[in-house]
Amino acid sequence: MRRNAGSSAAAGIARKRKKNHTKLRLIIFGILVLALLFTAVFAEHICPYDPNRQDLANALQAPSLAHPFGTDRYGRDMLSRVIAGSQTSIFSALALVAIISVGGTVIGVSCGYFGGIPDTVVMRISDICLAFPGLVFAMAIAAVLNGGVRNAVLALAVVSWPKYSRIARSQTLAVRQAEYISAARLAGDSPFQVIFRHILPNILGPVLVTAMLDIGTMMMEIAGLSFLGLGAQPPTAEWGSMMSGGRSMLQTYPWVVLTPGLAIFVSVALFNLLGDTVRDSMDSGNA
Amino acid sequence: MKKKMMSMMLALGLLASALAGCGGGGNSQSASQNSANQNAQSQSAAQGGETGADPGVTSGETKRLVWGDTTFNAENGEPDINPHRDSSGWACIRYGVGETLFRFSDAMEIEPWLAQSYENVDELTWKITLRDDVAFTSGRPMDGEAVKECLEDLVAEHERAAGDLQIAEITAEGQTVTIRTEEPVPALINFLADPYGCIIDMQAGVTEDGIVSGTGPYRAVSLVTDTSLELVKNENYWNGEPKIDEITVRTITDGDTLTMALQSGEIDAAYGMPYASYPLFENDNYTFTGCATSRVFFGAMNFESEITSDPAVRKAIAMGIDKESFVETLLDGNGYPAAGVYPDSFTFGGDAVTTETYDPEGAAEILEEAGWVDTDGDGIREKDGQPLTLRWLTYPSRQELPLLAEAAQATLGAIGFDVQINNTADHNRIRTDTGAWDIYFSAMVTAPTGDPEYFFAYHCLDSSSNNDGHYHSDRLEELAGQMTQTFDADRRGELAVEMQQVILDDNAYVFCSHLRMSMISKSSVAGLAAHPCDYYEITADLDIADSSAR
Amino acid sequence: MKKYVIRRLLLLIPVLLGATFLSFAMMSIAGSDVVVQRAEASGVTLSPEVLAAERAKLGLDQPFLVQYFRWLGEFLTGDLGTSYVSGNDVFSTFLSKLPATLLLTGTSVLLTVVISVPLGILSAVKQNRLTDYLIRICSFIGNSLPNFFVALVLMYVFSIHFPVFPVISNGLSLQSAALPTLTLAIAMSAKYLRQVRAAVLEELNKEYVTGAKARGVRFSVTLWKSVLRACLVTILTLLALSIGSLLGGTAIVESIFMWDGVGKLAVDAINMRDYPMIQAYVVWMALIYVVINLITDLSYRILDPRIRLGGDKT
Repeated sequence: MRRNAGSSAAAGIARKRKKNHTKLRLIIFGILVLALLFTAVFAEHICPYDPNRQDLANALQAPSLAHPFGTDRYGRDMLSRVIAGSQTSIFSALALVAIISVGGTVIGVSCGYFGGIPDTVVMRISDICLAFPGLVFAMAIAAVLNGGVRNAVLALAVVSWPKYSRIARSQTLAVRQAEYISAARLAGDSPFQVIFRHILPNILGPVLVTAMLDIGTMMMEIAGLSFLGLGAQPPTAEWGSMMSGGRSMLQTYPWVVLTPGLAIFVSVALFNLLGDTVRDSMDSGNA
Repeated sequence: MKKKMMSMMLALGLLASALAGCGGGGNSQSASQNSANQNAQSQSAAQGGETGADPGVTSGETKRLVWGDTTFNAENGEPDINPHRDSSGWACIRYGVGETLFRFSDAMEIEPWLAQSYENVDELTWKITLRDDVAFTSGRPMDGEAVKECLEDLVAEHERAAGDLQIAEITAEGQTVTIRTEEPVPALINFLADPYGCIIDMQAGVTEDGIVSGTGPYRAVSLVTDTSLELVKNENYWNGEPKIDEITVRTITDGDTLTMALQSGEIDAAYGMPYASYPLFENDNYTFTGCATSRVFFGAMNFESEITSDPAVRKAIAMGIDKESFVETLLDGNGYPAAGVYPDSFTFGGDAVTTETYDPEGAAEILEEAGWVDTDGDGIREKDGQPLTLRWLTYPSRQELPLLAEAAQATLGAIGFDVQINNTADHNRIRTDTGAWDIYFSAMVTAPTGDPEYFFAYHCLDSSSNNDGHYHSDRLEELAGQMTQTFDADRRGELAVEMQQVILDDNAYVFCSHLRMSMISKSSVAGLAAHPCDYYEITADLDIADSSAR
Repeated sequence: MKKYVIRRLLLLIPVLLGATFLSFAMMSIAGSDVVVQRAEASGVTLSPEVLAAERAKLGLDQPFLVQYFRWLGEFLTGDLGTSYVSGNDVFSTFLSKLPATLLLTGTSVLLTVVISVPLGILSAVKQNRLTDYLIRICSFIGNSLPNFFVALVLMYVFSIHFPVFPVISNGLSLQSAALPTLTLAIAMSAKYLRQVRAAVLEELNKEYVTGAKARGVRFSVTLWKSVLRACLVTILTLLALSIGSLLGGTAIVESIFMWDGVGKLAVDAINMRDYPMIQAYVVWMALIYVVINLITDLSYRILDPRIRLGGDKT
């Protein structure tokens, strides 16, 4: 509440200062996310060891100077595997989230704005998608298209978009009747102009937040399909599978589970912080 | 504003205290675990299917035990304990409800159990004499008529049993049963020792919950599929007095939950513990019992594939898998490196056959001689422009299979193979397509009835339904033909050794390891012994020490 | 209004037909069937004759369209059939698992709201201050950890280290429900408190908040009267989605805690290709979504009269 304190002049100054802070944060988080992406792109060159080289004599070694993250049950260096895993995990999760958030939002906004029969039909389709067990769908995809990460992303995209379209649609319904929208319509803006200029900026917040949070969830979902042959196949390192594959070692060899978990946490936190800051900067830009 | 925040904190506080309230309840529960525990008993007695969180406690004169098992569930084909349904016979025999006419000794040789003796009158006729001191828990004495009714229902209900037994007619007279088969079935007595052969009282029938009346040391009183089975002592057991009054079998599908349930003391004994949890129990508070079973992890070569149809490649694969390290490191010693189809405990198993040993240099030489050379220096050998790519098909539902695939990927990779693993639940469809894989690794029980014919009949012959790699050997066909005509067990064993050697010499199959089945119990539990056939768990010998001793 | 509700409920029909048909079609594409799955689970090899006989017994030898219409015919007469796996009546099996799912849905949604709404508001009001960062980091942790991990850690702490709650559920009691509830609520709160934060921030940046401030309205009044009311749309959408998915069951949490709900039932059924059970589940899910969406849309209108109901044009 202190942010809005005082006269309108003081508010202006406060806003300016806030804007500067936002800019600074934007730069910091931007750099950190870039560093993360850089790691993912050049993973092979950064790994201290070959992430796939097995050494059964050195299996399940606790973290040490030679292996800061310890070794897994094949004696592979966990640090190298976590670094190598960033490639598969980050890029597949980002691709998936991008597809479903953009696609779902476009569908949701159009439905919310135009309404009518297309809205009903699309919403019924999304009901079916939500009501439909995703596992059944993934099995069919696996049978028709064979395995691989790309097809896991596809299978999850088909079942996950309705969430975004629902959020976008409800937000659109909420703002559709607002005065400024009617004003824009009266001023002769085309529906697309109204959507892009007035509706999208208004609903971006919730969508962005959902999308950023989904990155971590989707990493695990992609891993969850690996038993169908969808997802990364061995020896490819991938965080979600590393975590679920090591789950029974939580009490005995915890580093096998905790180090990929830490990696997921760091990337989820960074993407979210960046997302928040982007949203903040847009807010102060709009205000 | 501050006030509002306060009220929020208050709400949170309320929530916390609500949770703590639940916690209080929990405490009293766990406190009772250490005391005499009347509560839990009355609770479990009243609720039937539900058990208190406090097993294995003996109070006054009642001894109780809680058994945790990952396999007792519908997904595993064991929705109840009716032996005539699916694989439920396993539950029936394992939990001491049912018994079969014949059983297996520790050396997997057949011996009488509910039967006293048998006589093979001619190729098609078997005369079985029953014990005369056995009664079902329903109270009915077990006689020839009861066995006849049971077996007739079995072949009517159970497709596999009907196919195995080939029964044409059963006649009963007093304590004897005469079975006439449609064709010669040399392994009939073995088949009768399969869990589906549990003798149950068909007059008492099968309840809606799937409870049957058997002759075993325990009587089932309630059953909830995928949840629990309540057993009480059979007071009139024919073979000694069962030592425990009440046993609860809890289905715990998740291995980690099973681990924690044994750690927290909610169960007394566990079947199906993940290997990674073993170190937690390797101390004086717990006891392990284990032995080799005939469940083998093995690969079948695809003879339609351009890669694995090359004998040199097959030999190199057999020499390029490090079975010892796989068993020692990845299975933590919970298995036995395999040579052939059957484990050591079988007379025709273990070292009775010879096969390739791990020899990466030798394997590389063989490939080199056969023309598989790495010409472009990428670490992968080629021949006539074709890379040495091995498509390895396997599935994840057996925890050992993906481990084996990944370990072999590394060792075979070192000799110039490019191993591409396809680890998928969809393997049953893919394996029928010979264009989609080169080697298929699976886990199979190779001798569920102690008889050797089964494995070859289903996997290696021209007529075998699971011969997906289209392996063919004239010699093997000939030996298999002999086996179907041979009734003498020793001669069958000799044939089994010869047949194993044929497929091993062809490197048509690679047998990596036999499963070591283990059960872990609190050290207060006594009389629990693993058996190579994996059928006998809860027996009249099972006991739990007095609570004062704990 | 009544007309609208009836019309929305009638939409259940196409959703039901679509979803059940789709699941039948997908399962037939996915290959394998209950007979093969059962044989694999037991590790025993069956001859083709035995497999064929078992298939014929279940009618699986028929083309899939025939199987679907046979199922549909029985469904229309109110018969959901018997399970291929357990042989039990599908409807009563399903019904027996519902109380557990309903209880867990109730407790975890309640706990989620109690955690995420106040923390989300607090986080928004204290935007970019230490409190905010702490709350957000907790939410990132909650969001990065898979359910099984949270479940195992909770189990370790509260069942083994401090034996407060049982590892395996002990029938339907609040005590048994505590750990599964906490597991689900941690994951959901981590998500929702961020959504609440975003929605509140969105509103706080609107002109009327500044305007109210300028008019001398106390901030807390603005927050409670206007901002939260406006955020209810977001919260409601989220609740609708999460109640929907919770009522569909949570297979991982259910199987870890041996909580006997519909989620594990469904996943087992899918893995075993137990068609009648899968169809029952699909019907249940279709029902949930249609009903919950209807309730959500109706409450949007009650909350915010500006929203017109789709079919309510006069």
